[in-house]
Amino acid sequence: MSFLRALPRWLLGAGLLLAFDLTGRVLVAALSLPLPGPVLGMLLLLIAMMLYGRVPRGLGLVGEQILRLLVLIFLPATVGIYFLRDLSGGDWIALIVAMVVGTLISIALTALLLNHLIRRSGRDGEGGNDGE
Amino acid sequence: MASNAFTPLREWLAQVQQVAINFAEPLSFAHPLVILPLNILGFWLALKIYRRAGTPILHPVVGGSLLVFAGLLLMNVDFAGYQRGSGLLYLLLGPAVVALAIPLKQNLTMVRRVGWPLILGLAVGAILAPLVAVLIAMLLNGSAAVLIALTTKSVTTPVALALTEQMNGIQSLAAGVVAFTGVVGAVCGPALLKLLGITDERVTGFALGVNAHAIGTVRALEISALCGAFSALAMGLCGALTALLLPVLISA
Repeated sequence: MSFLRALPRWLLGAGLLLAFDLTGRVLVAALSLPLPGPVLGMLLLLIAMMLYGRVPRGLGLVGEQILRLLVLIFLPATVGIYFLRDLSGGDWIALIVAMVVGTLISIALTALLLNHLIRRSGRDGEGGNDGE
Repeated sequence: MASNAFTPLREWLAQVQQVAINFAEPLSFAHPLVILPLNILGFWLALKIYRRAGTPILHPVVGGSLLVFAGLLLMNVDFAGYQRGSGLLYLLLGPAVVALAIPLKQNLTMVRRVGWPLILGLAVGAILAPLVAVLIAMLLNGSAAVLIALTTKSVTTPVALALTEQMNGIQSLAAGVVAFTGVVGAVCGPALLKLLGITDERVTGFALGVNAHAIGTVRALEISALCGAFSALAMGLCGALTALLLPVLISA
């Protein structure tokens, strides 16, 4: 019974996601913007929620479930990697080295930079202008 | 002009129609009623295995795709048939991207508290992650297909797929690169940062989110809620920023 009572809220949440998705696609096509439609939809929804002040309950419920099932939703695209035949051996090596080494380098650099910035702004925040 | 703007709507309706038509086809191993349960079963089993094993190497992205692939081999279904059977899931990709706005909204107050270091770190991190990888692949003579796939390596899969579609890249390669990057980041990231003497969980979470998206976020949540929140936040912001910047950079 509680499910039936919650149903309109679920439908509203799902409808909102779909509406923002389609609105994003239409706007991108109409204004020939260089970004994917659903991403514009996401930004629009973010702005709408900031104006509204909170996440509508139905939207929160549906969103939570969708994000939990995210791996399932993009499983079809992921499986395709095993069907790739048109890459050479050299391509695979370049790809794997770039992914492993590149990811480690960029994680380290991102973290070191942010660590430095947070410490610096923390010191500034405490009123210490140490002339750096 | 006006008719142009509504082509996405027509395309979307055609996609819905195609999914319905696929359901009406005679039953075979490539039928949605076989493929969809296969996807769900693969995902569910992979999740069980992952929770029991507790190592990011077996993240459901990896385990699930291997299980589904094994199922397809057993039933002798090709990729085109599998994609047709999975049409319903492709329809959910767009709404899933939109749903990423929810954790962003919920974490927005934290961005305000940390302020500009976060924004600067994000901008540099979002540019650095694909740049370093593309440079390495260029040095190793990777083909254009490889370079394009690497540009979206650090953003969450739904966004990466949308971007790849726009750049006419290979979607499956992009999805594989995203998954592999996530696993590398989640497995090695926290240990690497500890080695570098970084103890701030906000920084660890942020670096994981920018570089290892959802898989990194799962790992960050294991470290702490604060770490996870920063990771989710960084993942969302990085996805949005990459989606805004990448098409402009590629066309330039």
